Amino acid sequence: MSLSTCMIVLMAAPLIAALAIAALPSKAFPRAVYECIHVVSIGFVLALGVYLVYVEFTTNTPITALSNWCRLDALSSVFVTLISIIGALVGIFSIPYIQHDVDAGHMDAGQVKSYYAFYSLFLFTMLLAALSNNIIMMWVCIEATTLATVFLVGAYKTKLALEAAWKYIIVCAAGVAFGLYGTLLVYANAADVLDDPSQAIFWTSIVPNADKLDPMLLAISFTFVVIGFGTKAGLFPMHTWLPDAHSEAPSPVSALLSGVLLKCAVLVIIRFYVITVGCIGIVFPRAILVTLGTLSVVYAAFAIFKQDDIKRKLAYSSTDNIGIVALCLGLGGPLGIAAALLHCIFHGCTKALMFCLSGNILMKYDSRSMRRVNGLLEVAPVTAVLFFVGCFALSAFPPFAMFISEITMYFAAIVQGYLWLVIILGLALTVVVAALAIMCVRVDFGHAPADVKKGEVPVMALVPEVILAAVILWFGIAVPQPVVEGVDNATSIIVQEQVDPLYSDALLTGIAQVNK
Amino acid sequence: MATGYIIVNLLACVLVVTSTMVVLMRKLRSAAWTYAVQSLVLVCIFITLATTAGSTGLYLWSASAFVTKVVLVPAIILYTIKKIGDTADAELPVKLTPTRCVMLVVAELIVCFVAVLGVELPTAGEVRPALAISLAHFFIGLTCIVSQRNIVKQIFGYCLMENGSHLTLALLAPAAPHIVETGIATDAIFAVIIMAIVAYRIHRVTGSLDAEDLMELKG
Repeated sequence: MSLSTCMIVLMAAPLIAALAIAALPSKAFPRAVYECIHVVSIGFVLALGVYLVYVEFTTNTPITALSNWCRLDALSSVFVTLISIIGALVGIFSIPYIQHDVDAGHMDAGQVKSYYAFYSLFLFTMLLAALSNNIIMMWVCIEATTLATVFLVGAYKTKLALEAAWKYIIVCAAGVAFGLYGTLLVYANAADVLDDPSQAIFWTSIVPNADKLDPMLLAISFTFVVIGFGTKAGLFPMHTWLPDAHSEAPSPVSALLSGVLLKCAVLVIIRFYVITVGCIGIVFPRAILVTLGTLSVVYAAFAIFKQDDIKRKLAYSSTDNIGIVALCLGLGGPLGIAAALLHCIFHGCTKALMFCLSGNILMKYDSRSMRRVNGLLEVAPVTAVLFFVGCFALSAFPPFAMFISEITMYFAAIVQGYLWLVIILGLALTVVVAALAIMCVRVDFGHAPADVKKGEVPVMALVPEVILAAVILWFGIAVPQPVVEGVDNATSIIVQEQVDPLYSDALLTGIAQVNK
Repeated sequence: MATGYIIVNLLACVLVVTSTMVVLMRKLRSAAWTYAVQSLVLVCIFITLATTAGSTGLYLWSASAFVTKVVLVPAIILYTIKKIGDTADAELPVKLTPTRCVMLVVAELIVCFVAVLGVELPTAGEVRPALAISLAHFFIGLTCIVSQRNIVKQIFGYCLMENGSHLTLALLAPAAPHIVETGIATDAIFAVIIMAIVAYRIHRVTGSLDAEDLMELKG
């Protein structure tokens, strides 16, 4: 099988799984049948996704399919890896979680069936978004991710879940419509200036000709793109759907939304960032991204502190971290871009872990409120230890992975001469640390309510969490060389020149550049 | 200027009037029918552009826009209203009075005309007024979402935004592949269907279509 065919199969597999599950009558088949199709779907995506990324990485040659509509390069590899690995781990966690929801009477057979069908559809739309080389397809795919997840967000069909689902679809659809407008402006502009207008739809054709585009039109379109896809990514002030959707969705869905989907929207912003920087330079994109990024970090820091609901705290933390990614992109330079990509990976893993753990808590306490969730250490010790690790990791403490990306961000800010930004970020992130420390102490320690049964959640729920915790610890102690090289290659695509900002060591490179 | 482009600019003016009427209509059924008329004007613009530019692709766009925007979207909304029953049209206090709404639309039009003056694309030259209106159309849709309390009415806001983008694409890139237009139209149709299902479910659970009733999740 050729690599192009492999790529098509990678995208088609979860779609076929979704259609197969949807086609089966929910009352005629036991839940195990849906679970089997679900496992095959996530297993297929994991195996084929990692294989294609490995081939792209070792040969250093992009893989294309469907007449260049889809393309796996070093940049999309980062996001395909995230989708494949986190999608599979969270997919495994889903099985005991949904089983618990059925036992507790939160879901019936029809809801279980639609959960597994939409889960695979969600993976399909995200893969398509990450692999798309066609700029309008990128919009179509991001819009499709919203459509595929609305019923996952509203899976419980309660008033609050439906409220969250409505806000999610109306805010994201309207927001992403801005993205469509920006995309169409870029396309129309490129069709006008490219020798072959039929190529104007491909990102790879626009980038080398970015300097020929109309600067005014491109500034307008980039603004629209950041508003549009920034809404989907959860940037302040367009983030309003995010805390509601993340908190009301089943926990595995929250994990996938926060861990992966937000990053897919970031990838589309990155694609347009490359075109815009190539045409009008970095000053304008930097102004927009640094402003929105800083506002997101500062606003979310206080919002995290204020919340009593554990999942809403984690949701605001996503806005905080997407703000950091936007800020790193805005700072630019190889170090800033590398920090943004590293943060996408590390935050993706850490947040997936935390939302899965919030699922453990829900299974044990049937509540997300910190007023009720106390004494986790005596109720479920393994979950408590993992929660402790997750809170520290999310606070970007060493030796966990997010420390590496955040410290790289500080170095990038200093290198670019933004000392004031370092101070603001330092203060805001201290508030985040305080909020997460309080959450960790209140949840883990104290005494559990009398009606909460002691005992760990099923092993199948713990295994993906232990793997995620091990990964963020491993990446924090020593980022594996393939990850470093992969991020370096992706950074080279974004800055449009061969660079290796992380090749030796992110920390040492940062310090060396600051000293210079 | 070619007669065709003059007609396009005139039809664009009719379009902005019909769009404002969609926002102002108090009854959902009337809004759905007005939306169908508004979409028909859009289809007429596509046909005029196709004839003027001699683009066969735009004729295909016109046909698919007729099916999706003039027929399917109003049909989906009317079906949803029928399923919900009489309570769908329950009187809700307005967030924005009709006068203020019209003033806002006028302000949006002025801002968009000024913004479009800076665009130097050759394709934009003869249809600059229509281009400004297409951009304004996008913001009229946003105004509809923000100013309406009835959630089914908010769906029209999204459709108007999408129509604005569609018109911009037709004006600036009439030679775009048909598959692009199909992709956008298909996504939009699915979005409307899913919004309609969620609105129906919300009504079934809360007994209302009032967006103000969906404010429990805060902070």
